This record gives sequence, C-alpha cells and structure tokens, in this order.
Amino acid sequence: MTSRDSVFEALDATKRFGALAAVDGITLRVGTGEIYGLVGPSGAGKTTLIRMLSGLTRPTSGRAELLGAVMPSARRTVEDRFGYMPQERAVYRDLSIGENLLFFGQIYGMTRARIRERTRELLSLMKLEGHLRQRADRLSGGEKQRLSLACALLHEPEALLLDEPTIGLDPALRREFWDHFHVLNRMGRTILLSTHYLNEAAWCDRVGLIQRGRLIADGTPDALRARASRISGRDETEMEDVFLVLTKAQPTEGRR
Amino acid sequence: MRTHRVRAVTERVLRQIWHDKRVLTFMMILPAIAMVLFGYSFSGEISDVRIAFVDEDGTDLTASILDNLQADDAFDITPLATTEDPEQLLLSEGYTAVIRIPDKFTSLYYAHFAMGVATSAQGTIDLTLDESDPQIASTVRMGLADALMDLGEGGPVDIETRELYGVEIRFIDSFAPAIMGFVVMLISTVLTLLSVVREKVDGTFARVWVSPVRRAEFIVGYVVAFGLIALAQSLIVLTIGKAVFDIVINGSIAWAFACTILFAVGSVGLGTLLSSLAQTESQAIVFFPLVLLPSVLLSGMMWPIQAIPRLLRPLSYLVPLTYSNRLMRAVMVKGLAPWEEPVGLAGVVVFVILTIAVASVVLRQSAGEAE
Repeated sequence: MTSRDSVFEALDATKRFGALAAVDGITLRVGTGEIYGLVGPSGAGKTTLIRMLSGLTRPTSGRAELLGAVMPSARRTVEDRFGYMPQERAVYRDLSIGENLLFFGQIYGMTRARIRERTRELLSLMKLEGHLRQRADRLSGGEKQRLSLACALLHEPEALLLDEPTIGLDPALRREFWDHFHVLNRMGRTILLSTHYLNEAAWCDRVGLIQRGRLIADGTPDALRARASRISGRDETEMEDVFLVLTKAQPTEGRR
Repeated sequence: MRTHRVRAVTERVLRQIWHDKRVLTFMMILPAIAMVLFGYSFSGEISDVRIAFVDEDGTDLTASILDNLQADDAFDITPLATTEDPEQLLLSEGYTAVIRIPDKFTSLYYAHFAMGVATSAQGTIDLTLDESDPQIASTVRMGLADALMDLGEGGPVDIETRELYGVEIRFIDSFAPAIMGFVVMLISTVLTLLSVVREKVDGTFARVWVSPVRRAEFIVGYVVAFGLIALAQSLIVLTIGKAVFDIVINGSIAWAFACTILFAVGSVGLGTLLSSLAQTESQAIVFFPLVLLPSVLLSGMMWPIQAIPRLLRPLSYLVPLTYSNRLMRAVMVKGLAPWEEPVGLAGVVVFVILTIAVASVVLRQSAGEAE
C-alpha cells in the first residue's frame, strides 16, 4: 500500500508510554513536494509522531515509513536523504556557527570544500552572514533557531522533518521562516513540520489536526475550513476557529 | 565504521573542550595540583614527633639507642636524665612519647643474652605513648624497634634485607603512576558524562542519531578524543613528577602511556554508561563523588590495599583504579612489561570491555526512548 510517491507515511502508528498513548493509531501520508503541517496543542503527540517518522522512536504498533523505508529498522537506507530539526534548538552551544555546520556536514560525509560552500549559501539564506565565528550560546533565540534549521538543510536532503521550527519566534521571523519553507518547497523538498500556532496551518499544502494522540482531521486548509463551516453553520476562515469547531465535533465523528 | 565520521566526532569533542577555557585549564592543572597537593601532603613521611628520652642507666648501649633514635628524621628527641612520672611529662610537656630506660637496663640486657632466654630477667624499656593518632604511634613503635634492632653485635635479631624494585623508592615515586591513572579517569569519565548528558538535553544527540553516525563511531570518536587528552595529562604528570619531585621511573614510558590510554578508554565507557542514568546536567553531578571517592579511598593510591579494613577490601577490587594502580606501578616503578602484571592488566582490560559494551547498549536506549 506504499505508493511510490509517499515521502512520509504513518499506518495506524501508535506509541504508548506505559498507560498513555502519546500517538494513538495515526494514519497519514505525505507525498513528494508537499508541505504538511501537523497542528495541535502542546502534548498532542506531534513530536512523538515526528520521532517515529525519523526513526528515533519505535512505534508500539502500526508502522512509520520514510521514503519507503520502514522506520526505524530500515533507517540506514535513507539516513542521508532526510533532514531533522528537533524541537530543542539542537546545536552545540559551545561551538561556533561554522563549527556546528562543519560537524553536521562531516558526519554526512561532505567534503570540507562543499561544507564551506553550503555554509556560505545557508548563512546568507538565514541572514546569519558575519556570524560564522560566533558561538551558538551567544546567539539570540531566533538566530539559534535559524542555525538549527541550517544544520538540517546542510546536506541537501530531499525530505525535511521539522519539529516546531517556529516556536518562540516573533511573528515577523515566523513569516521569514515560512518564506524559507516555501522556497525549499519550490526546490522540490518535501516538508513535514509541526506547529502549535494554528494560523500557520493556513500556509501548508495540507494539514493534520492532532489532539490527544489522534488525527482528528486531515486535508487542505480550504477543505478543513469548509468542513468546519458545514459543522458550525458559520463561515469559518480563521484556522483557530476551524480547529475549535473540529475539536468539538470530534467525539461524535468518532475515531478517524 | 567510517573514519571520517569518527574523526568528525573526535574533532568536535576536542573543539568543545578547546573552547571551554575553564575546563581546559582545569584539565591541565588538575594533574599538577593532584601531584603537588597529594604528593606533598600524603608523602607518608612523618616528622617532628616530640619524644622525651629518659636515660636513667647512662651506658654506652643506651647512648647508642639515643643516637639511633636521633638519626631518625621522624623524631625530635629531648634527652632527659630522670623523670618522676612519664605520664605527667606526656600530658604537661606535650611529648608524644616518653621512652624511659631504667637503671640496670644494660646489665640485664647483656645477662639475658649471655645466660639464655629462659633463665634470666630481660632488660625492659618503658614506653609511654600517646595513642590518639595511631599512625604516629605506630611510627614511634617502629622507630624504637629499629633503634633497638640496630645495636650491632649482640642484638636480638639480625634482619638481612634484599630490596627489590624500589631501591631508594619514596612515596612520591609510586604515587606518580597512581595519580596518572586517577587524573585520566576523573577527567575522561566526568567530561564524557557531562558531554553526553548535554547532548541529550540539547537534542544534538537525536540529530546525531538520525545521521549516518553509528554508535560505534560515536563511542570511538569520544575514545580517541579522550585518549589524546589522557596522553597530554600523563605528560604533565610525568613532567611535574620529574621536574619538581625528581621521581624515579624504572620502566618504559611508552608502556606507561599505552596503559594510561587503555584506562582512558574504559573511563570514557564509564562516563557514557553513567550518562544514561542522568536526564540533566545537575543529575550528572551526583555521580562525581561516586567516581571520585572510591578511587581515592579504596584503590591503594594513598595507602596500600592491605591497610584497608578486611570488610571493605572486596570493594577495593571493584574499583577500576585499583587495577590501573597495580599496572602503572608495575610498569613505571618495577620496570615490568604490562603482561608481567597480569592481574592489573586483566583488571583494566575487563574494565574497558565491560564499560564499552554496556555503554554501547545504553546509548541505544537513550537515543531511542529519550523523553
């Protein structure tokens, strides 16, 4: 049932921590060239789902696939084809921007010359020029986040798993990040990202609404708006209202 | 295993340490401090113990006992002609011991040897001793025994000593090999522990985990980094040992370095496996005394294992530094090859294999099911 086009795929993926089901039977598929947004409140299970897709966490049941490889068992076959940005601004605080990028380039087997070239490109894209020698712990939150994104993009992966890439950024910077995402997307990158800023859902090609470990709605922003409008009988345009309507309607709609 | 990824990890760990000037300074100064501080204060040499020597007999024999005692650096001897009450001397004058040789001691002494043990009363020396510090007290006892032993002809026993390995070896000479292992273990374990915990906290570990880096490459990367650091630290210990304390090194320095590096590998393993027990850096700090205290107290670094109470001694054999000490002393003081000290070598090798194996298992767990 794996289609050749699917970059990220979850099939009834479930992750339990003791009695708690952090992810509870989620099925979704993200095709090549899409920007897919996992939207939902903190603790809804977005991070766990992303970790399953990245191979960091083994599903308790069901399966998670990335570029056709079952994760985590076949992760070695696709390890250099995707980029992962964890929720923590996962960079080495005691290394400079240049050294962080050098390390992440080296472990992906890039040559020093290529790393230098990519570093130049990314620093200009992320507006971090001139900060090459600055230590990560002296960067502002936004700069650190841009460095973290740069680390995920360095080896030019075709698929990107970004966990809350815009968390804690001011609205202007968030817009900038989204501009990057759209640029990357136009270059053919497939992006699956999570966010708890509901308005960002409108900027995705497709959106999955997650609540308490379950995918309660999945579709284009317009389709979700239309569905919410049908339920509420009003014209729902704000993603926040869409989310509220669909959340409320969820128990009667049942699972999936 | 790909060398470029191992090198990337090594280079990164070294860079991180290089940037943290405080850690760097500490790492380089610790061997110096440990040598100087422990070396001086634990040199085991007791000196200036005040002893009153009350000679009521006043013969050539008693004079040579006095000479022998005065020749001992440990003692500060005050000769007295007579005393009413040795205890009073000890209490009011601040002597640690009062040695009283009663009248007729010499004649009884010679009669005893002339007539045979069973038939004669023996010469007796009164020793009044402050026992509040057992180590000083035993120094006094041994010093007095030595002084009596060394009376030449007619003495009770003649001990012929053949000194092996440590001819003219002082405490500091056998201390330097121990301190090399100690410093290397402390730094490698603690810094690996902190570094891996920090990777988990910051999320860089997850990033490395999804990258092509294998567990083995990650561990070997750390091992190479701390192996190099261990080498630098050993050099510092040896340089200070040679320059300041003029330590005697009978063995091969190359073997000493090889053993230190081997021990560093185990310490990196220990740090990695401890990292799985800590979720935050402050939790990791709890483990420092756990590594430090047994190593200092039970490894035979400061005092011999034989001086450790029997009840605790089995614990000594669980402390990795115990084996490193044996091995390093064999190599540096006795001038043996590592395999000529099989117990020490085996202990260190088992330490390396166990910690690296467990570290490799726990690393998978902390990557897979973190948070």
